[in-house]
Amino acid sequence: MSQVTSNPQALDPTRGLATELYETHQQSIYRRTDRIFAMLMAIQWVFGIVAAIFISPRTWVGLTSHTHPHVWAAVFLGLAINVLPIFLALVHPGKTITRFVISVTQMLWSALLIHLTGGRIETHFHVFGSLAFLAFYRDWRVLIPATVVVAGDHLLRGLYFPQSVYGVLTPNSWRWLEHAGWVIFEDIFLIASCLRGQQEMRQIAQRAADLNTAKEAAEAATRAKSEFLANM
Amino acid sequence: MRHSLRSALYVIIGTGWAASVAIGGWRLWGFESTAGIPARPQPMWPADSKLARNIAIPSLVLLIHPHCPCSRATIGELARLMADVHEKLTATVAVLCPAAAAEGWEQTDLWHSAAAIPGVIVVADIDGRESGRFGAATSGQTFLYAADGRLLFQGGITESRGHSGDNAGRSAILSLVLGLSSAPPGQPLHSPVYGCPLFDDSTACERGDTPCPR
Repeated sequence: MSQVTSNPQALDPTRGLATELYETHQQSIYRRTDRIFAMLMAIQWVFGIVAAIFISPRTWVGLTSHTHPHVWAAVFLGLAINVLPIFLALVHPGKTITRFVISVTQMLWSALLIHLTGGRIETHFHVFGSLAFLAFYRDWRVLIPATVVVAGDHLLRGLYFPQSVYGVLTPNSWRWLEHAGWVIFEDIFLIASCLRGQQEMRQIAQRAADLNTAKEAAEAATRAKSEFLANM
Repeated sequence: MRHSLRSALYVIIGTGWAASVAIGGWRLWGFESTAGIPARPQPMWPADSKLARNIAIPSLVLLIHPHCPCSRATIGELARLMADVHEKLTATVAVLCPAAAAEGWEQTDLWHSAAAIPGVIVVADIDGRESGRFGAATSGQTFLYAADGRLLFQGGITESRGHSGDNAGRSAILSLVLGLSSAPPGQPLHSPVYGCPLFDDSTACERGDTPCPR
């Protein structure tokens, strides 16, 4: 009796199958999102190069000019940023480390694109779009490294070069929290969305397992009935 | 054993990746945050300048290189500034036009963007003469003179090279024009200027902007 109560699967025979279905579904989402991000990384790289060539192709000294450092940054820094996440997405799709590296990398892309487009306020929306995109994983933990990168960047630059992030030389020492606060504001909704998504996935898996068990029971009953009729 | 070797390899790859990204980011950061050649400002409006000065309200002079992509952000900041001061400031943008340049060399998008800002006059700075009179050496160098011709501010109006957004230079000019702050006599407010050098090394040396190589 005590054996029965300590084994939940014995109480609910479909639970094991439901967990298996849930994990399979979760892995397929992780793998698919990893592939999407691998493509997105490549697209962002091309976009960064095109933006640099279009916005700041050359830098000038008097009458002479040479290729602008932004173009080299887009090509080589963009390539360096992309190497690891694309490698992991192709070789280790679905792994936790792959998602975390992609999360950090996506924020690095936000920073690079902001620089390549001359600090346009519109490009800062890339941060918020990326967070929403990361929520496609339905794994709320992925949002943490991205948030840490954004908050850490603002904290460090606010301490050592405040003009670059706040436009004033002596900002309020807590202003970085205001910027990070908006990211956390979005995180709250995305985390809630991820948790709800996971809950729904569990419910779907449980229903599928129930259906599967019922189907097997029905098939067994049909077989028994057929055997009974055949033996009459 | 095989597992630990693989783990070590991944640690090395991860460290190498982080280091290469950090180095690249640091170099980009270094380029953008390195200020240009500082100006040798005139404490009073240069008497030999051909630019018009308003004797009723402050006058702003911005000197730019017409092909410098970094100065696009400067023109954007000027547009924001002019929108904020509401006709309490006159502004002149002097666009560099070297004597050796081809005809129309200075007629770039920067020229047209500056000309489209209400209250801004755009002129060609033939052979950098006005830059010389005002003491500018870097594209984006901005001067603010009071109605009586006294220098109130000199420097840049972007936060870093080619980077738009709130910045100390624009804030300083805005507060001076609106009378929210003042510059002590002989001590104009200043900020770093970010942009392309207006002149090549030999010209900058001849003009005294930079030390001459020995």
